[in-house]
Amino acid sequence: MKRTRVFLACAAALLLALVSIFFGPRLLNPLALDAESRQILLLLRLPRSAVAFLMGGALGASGLILQGVFRNPLADPYILGLSGGASLAAALGILLAGSLPLPLPLLAFAGALGACALVAALGRGPEGLRPDRLLLGGIGLGFFFSAVLLLLMTLVSDGGLKRTILWMSGDLSSANWELIPGGLALILGGLALALARSKGLNVLGLGDEIAHGLGFNPGRERFFLFIAASLMTAAAVSLGGTVGFVGLLVPHAVRHLVGADAQRALPVSFFGGGTLLCLADSLGRSLAAPLEIPAGVIVALIGAPWFILVLRKKGYGL
Amino acid sequence: MLNFDDIAFDFSDTPFIAGLSFAVAQGEMLGLIGPNGAGKSTILKLAAGLLKPRAGSIRLAGRPIASYNGRERAQRVAYLPQQLDARLPFRVAELVEMGGYPHRGRAPRNTSEALRLAGLEAKAEAPLGQLSGGELRRAYLAMTLRQGADCLLLDEPLAGLDLRYQAELLQLLRGIAARTRTTVVMSLHDMGAALWLDRLLALKEGELIGAGKPRELLGEDLIRRLFDLDEEAAWIFRPGADLPETGQGRRSSG
Repeated sequence: MKRTRVFLACAAALLLALVSIFFGPRLLNPLALDAESRQILLLLRLPRSAVAFLMGGALGASGLILQGVFRNPLADPYILGLSGGASLAAALGILLAGSLPLPLPLLAFAGALGACALVAALGRGPEGLRPDRLLLGGIGLGFFFSAVLLLLMTLVSDGGLKRTILWMSGDLSSANWELIPGGLALILGGLALALARSKGLNVLGLGDEIAHGLGFNPGRERFFLFIAASLMTAAAVSLGGTVGFVGLLVPHAVRHLVGADAQRALPVSFFGGGTLLCLADSLGRSLAAPLEIPAGVIVALIGAPWFILVLRKKGYGL
Repeated sequence: MLNFDDIAFDFSDTPFIAGLSFAVAQGEMLGLIGPNGAGKSTILKLAAGLLKPRAGSIRLAGRPIASYNGRERAQRVAYLPQQLDARLPFRVAELVEMGGYPHRGRAPRNTSEALRLAGLEAKAEAPLGQLSGGELRRAYLAMTLRQGADCLLLDEPLAGLDLRYQAELLQLLRGIAARTRTTVVMSLHDMGAALWLDRLLALKEGELIGAGKPRELLGEDLIRRLFDLDEEAAWIFRPGADLPETGQGRRSSG
């Protein structure tokens, strides 16, 4: 029954994402595509929606992982500074293009992983890793990365600057097929690792002592899950920059729909996050065409009130 | 089933436990009593492999606990800390299912059976946050029952429960110990509840100061020594005696 629900949720999400491809400044009729429409579909809409789907999926799954690892419903790649670390590393890659031989996704991965290691170091007290310290460390680090990124952008004034600004705000208009293989590889790697460690993710939610009592090594599980979240955050950043809120919003909705068991919630978070960003991007390019509203802005505008309503309903005191 | 042989344990180079030895038989219910800081939780954590002794050997089913890998250990011994989180996003059945993880699909007891043993079948789909304190304890206990371990280590399982829930949980544990020959080692503060157990170890500042059957061990002298109670405070252990005057009044009259 629950597996059916997972399958149906994933299928419905994918269908919605597919439908969203046809919406934009020009509404495309899938049953009557002329040559121009086919060009728009193949060269613009499909790669853009694929990028949005992969990016949103990676953020949704990363959010679920981080909320479980940190035992905190406010954890997500954006808040914890992982996106910031990946962005900073990737921005350096863009600004210093040519002198750095590493491809963008790898730079972003190094940045996300570096941020993860720093957050973990900041969160370590005499009694080991503490979720509250980790969260505070991550928030502080995220602000620091943003500040350094802004400083870099202020100091540099060439063509790379505009790219960086656009890319930082979660711009999907420059999405193309070339971006996808690198990002897809990181996402598949991260998702596979997270699914392999889904039982570890469940027991970490119960606390380290109970996780140990169930035969798990909490430190090792946390390490692998950090790698998985870093891979997917790096992929999201290298595909379309930083988009907040997806990683926070999607896991809450998914747990409500299919429960908190990571074996079910991970795939649904991926499909749900992907669909959310596809729909947001579709709305963003349709609502005020020819102007484009960034997908991240749409997600926050719709998601924030809904999120506050959920928190109130669940009695978090908001 | 569980043997502590000449165990020494230090907290950050400060000696805490030295030369502690005791054994727990299969199917026995052993209680650890003593004031806060006596070492009850430390002993449970040592038995669970969460802490490592500086010296001595802890054996589980005849084998040093340190020689078990995580999964093997979890198949033999289950541990529940005092603080159990109710604000988790899981439902009861999802929590209990996790008890089967160490067995990789070959657990000796399925989720339904564990829920039935814990008397929580009707709450299987309830979110943990909607359970009462007693139900929450039983939900976590059901998880350890799903684990199918021969030895349950429970840190203050009665903490925060009213008399009815305490009695229910103790009855449940006694039933499990009797039916499945499961060893139960638990720490507790309630001397009334301690009477339900087979044997008690009385601890103070990391030292074992008494051991025996509850009705033989729990005399006024031991209780006063264990908890540093003066004669007036020890009144609570004399059912039927008149309430003493306040300390101020007693001192002025004496």
